[in-house]
Amino acid sequence: MVVEPLPAPEDPEAALAAVVALRRLAGRLEVDAVVEAVGQGWTWAQVGEALGISAQAAHKKFAAEVRARRGR
Amino acid sequence: MGIVTALRDLRTVRALLTGAEAESRSAGEPVPGPEHLLLAATALPDGTAAAALARVGVDAAQLRTAIEAAHAAALASVGVAADADGGGLQGPATGPMRSTPQAQRVFRQAVAAARAARSPLRGTHVVVAVCDLEHGATARALAALGVDREELRAAALSG
Repeated sequence: MVVEPLPAPEDPEAALAAVVALRRLAGRLEVDAVVEAVGQGWTWAQVGEALGISAQAAHKKFAAEVRARRGR
Repeated sequence: MGIVTALRDLRTVRALLTGAEAESRSAGEPVPGPEHLLLAATALPDGTAAAALARVGVDAAQLRTAIEAAHAAALASVGVAADADGGGLQGPATGPMRSTPQAQRVFRQAVAAARAARSPLRGTHVVVAVCDLEHGATARALAALGVDREELRAAALSG
């Protein structure tokens, strides 16, 4: 990834839109990665540890999506 | 409000909320925003939201594409090239229906406008409320499509 100059703070519209798009991208990446991790045998505690959240929080946030994508 | 209108409005509300949730989840976003409510409005059987958009030369598919493109352009502005197709969320929506504060406001305004006009809730009520939004993905996508929000509002009000 090539990091280009960030949108100038004088253009908050562009900077805030970039923040929203990054959050959205992070959310997609997070779900995809957690599904993959659980598929590889990671425990919820390990997933939580990697994400900096509790095992319970990780399970609550992702378990339904993991089940749906893994067909279980 | 008569019982028939009330029942029809209930069906419309349910179609809007479940439609917005489906739109956001297929975009990989757990919480619907105004853009997802607008897309849901275009799918309502009353057809008025789709007609208003058609009057400014846009359909739902173009709007959906423009929303993705607006996010991709915003990512590009910080040097991130990302695959636009995220695949979407496939798990069942769990817990109470959530949406962003802006989506909630659009919904409330649409319902209030319908009530003030003693009209059943229609897609155009959502379109008019969405046109108030100056910032965010909806405004950016409409701008990218060359749609003037005042023109769209007028198209919705004339429908």
